[in-house]
Amino acid sequence: MKSLPPGASKAPIKFRMPTAENLIPIRLDIEIDGQRYKDAFTWNPNDPDSEVVSFAKRTVKDLKLPPTFMTQIAQSIQTQLAEFRSYEGQDMHIKEKIVPLKIDLRVNNIVIRDQFLWDVSNFENDPEEFARTLCEDLNIGDPEVGPAIAVAIREQLYEVAAQSVSSARETRVGKKGRRGIENVTNSKTGNSALDLLKLFGSKGSVIRKRKEWYLYEPIVDLLSNEEVGALDAREELSAR
Amino acid sequence: MTSSSEDDFGRDLYSIPSSSNWFQWDEIHGTERRELPDFFDGSAASRNVRVYKEYRDFIINKFREDPSRRLTFTEVRKSLIGDVGTLRKVFLFLERWGLINFGVSDGRPRPTEEVGPRVVVEEPGAGVQVMPASSKLASGRSVAAATAAGAGETGFRLPPLSSYSDVFGDWAPGKGPVCAVCGDQCVSGRHEPLMEGGFVVCLKCSKTENEIEGKSADDNSDRVDGNANHATGAWTDAETLLLLEAVLKHGDDWDLIAQHVRTKNRLDCIARLIQLPFGDHMLGTFSGKYDAKNSGNQATNTKAIQHASSELLPEPKTDGHVHNDVNEKVEEESIPVHPSKRRHIQAIANATDSLMKQVALLSTVAGPHVAATAAEAAVTALSDENPWAGEVFNIDEDEARKKRKSFPTNNEPKSDVKVEDQDVEMHKQTDTPVLSEKNFSATAFQTKAAIATALGAAAARAKLLADQEGREMELLVASIIEAQMRKIQYKIKHFKELEFIMEKEYTLIQQMKESLLDKWVEVIQQIFQAGIPRWKDNVFPKSLWNHGS
Repeated sequence: MKSLPPGASKAPIKFRMPTAENLIPIRLDIEIDGQRYKDAFTWNPNDPDSEVVSFAKRTVKDLKLPPTFMTQIAQSIQTQLAEFRSYEGQDMHIKEKIVPLKIDLRVNNIVIRDQFLWDVSNFENDPEEFARTLCEDLNIGDPEVGPAIAVAIREQLYEVAAQSVSSARETRVGKKGRRGIENVTNSKTGNSALDLLKLFGSKGSVIRKRKEWYLYEPIVDLLSNEEVGALDAREELSAR
Repeated sequence: MTSSSEDDFGRDLYSIPSSSNWFQWDEIHGTERRELPDFFDGSAASRNVRVYKEYRDFIINKFREDPSRRLTFTEVRKSLIGDVGTLRKVFLFLERWGLINFGVSDGRPRPTEEVGPRVVVEEPGAGVQVMPASSKLASGRSVAAATAAGAGETGFRLPPLSSYSDVFGDWAPGKGPVCAVCGDQCVSGRHEPLMEGGFVVCLKCSKTENEIEGKSADDNSDRVDGNANHATGAWTDAETLLLLEAVLKHGDDWDLIAQHVRTKNRLDCIARLIQLPFGDHMLGTFSGKYDAKNSGNQATNTKAIQHASSELLPEPKTDGHVHNDVNEKVEEESIPVHPSKRRHIQAIANATDSLMKQVALLSTVAGPHVAATAAEAAVTALSDENPWAGEVFNIDEDEARKKRKSFPTNNEPKSDVKVEDQDVEMHKQTDTPVLSEKNFSATAFQTKAAIATALGAAAARAKLLADQEGREMELLVASIIEAQMRKIQYKIKHFKELEFIMEKEYTLIQQMKESLLDKWVEVIQQIFQAGIPRWKDNVFPKSLWNHGS
């Protein structure tokens, strides 16, 4: 059990990932000379920066990529780490906030779509654990699926957390008369938090209406090799 | 929860572990408050008592719609509004206490800590029955016990790698009982029946248990010491690697090695290393210590043998009272490696005594002719070897020859007399030189002669026995062959009879065929004569059959 206070809203805490482990999602999408490298994983921001270079070296070696990728990979990771560090040290104003998270992923030949509610203020939540349970329950044997789901969750949480910092900044700025920006950011993300009082108050029920069940149910599709090829080609096109 | 669903549960009974009998539909128990404090401390708007109760009741009801099926978290969370992390906590809590997914088999490992004495509690209002025992777990246990008792091969899973092979070959695969705790094969002598329902727990498991209980592992390690040559089945690759690494690093400092391996104690490490095919080479200089330890018995034996052989040459004492028999001599051989001086001397005396006795005994068994011939041959051989011996023996040679001649007539019916005579002969052989003031080498030669005689006699006896056994075997084989022959003959006879019967039947059938044909023709003729246009089918076969029989 983490000793973090469950009601994080009371005392503002320094920025971090709103999860049990402070791991940040890193997404790489690098294309050099027609060769494309896509990857997503988590990174511990407390690791020394020398790790980044050695990780890049190791990745290039393992995947037999041309050496030009090495600098690109290291650079991309560094940029994303730097972004995270720019938030670090700032206060995070997360009131209790339950947001719907959406998963729409394709890993190899498995497509998984899912939607569920996540309490951003619950620092005990563990995306990796959740993803593992999900894969176990759905009998997904591909070991790449679980981490992919966890990274997807972390990305969305990261976004929310970053917003909580920036929105706090915006409100401060907004007092000086620039309220418009806050509205823009809110509507842009579309991560509308649930009305907690309505749902968890004395009147509502936490049991979802039966006709809405399908919305919050994971859907797993197994694609044939041809479909995978077609999707790859389409992604290639859209990327250009 | 609706009232109708509550009625449903009034009718049905569900099993939950007795440890969860605190559960009540309309109450929140202290256990729930303790394990899921988030819902009860009012820290968050989305978590309160009402929400918890709704979650809990929904999940349990969902499971009880089909108690034979495993309920998954993913299934539950689609129908509940709320943070998935919190929902997951509730789900896991209920599962851990057996309120859901209790007794559902899906091959997944289930926590077994709930095994214990169980109580039957009837809760008429709530409709929950607390079962006296989890039948699933109980049956699992009994199966394990059965396999243990039946010495099944199921628990045996050693990969055929050379590093896994036990160079001492002490264990017999598939013969030892299976440990009920770790499932490994127990090597005989390394398991001890614990009083837990009679199933076998191997030493390793019982030890870990003991260590957990905080008992000192000393008495166990003593046992391990005694069984250090036996196989420790549960060394994993990783552990072995760690061990080798540690040995290379720390040499023979076993405490450090054990610390490095961590999962095994000092004695286990030692035992494992000497079991490895190349363990001795690794130990290098300090291997001798363990060699001596391992082949302790062998060393003692060889030393004893050396003693025995050296005992034969010094001057023997041929006093009258003989109190050592063959068995005692064997015991004497396995006495400690460094006996006190007195015992040492005694051993020699005893050895000589029993040697004479044995010679007498063996020659008795072999028969006087054989013994005499053997003695003569021994004396001749010794004379050839050393002229001194010839002189010693010449003195009473004539006498002995006379005796030999008289043997067949005197001693055939009574075996006791033979023994006496032999003894007398021996005594004569030994006594005379002493009297004739020859130096001690004479007695030495005579001892040699006696040994040779004994060996010769024993060999002769052995040959006789072997011949007899050979004859007996031949006889038996002959009788077996004869029996087989008789069996085959019976069979042939039987087949001949069968053939005869078949032939008979064949001729009968042939006759029948002919008569049938005749009848047929006759009938057709009659029909033609009578002018009946057609006949009824069912009439003919019947009549024909009647005729036929």
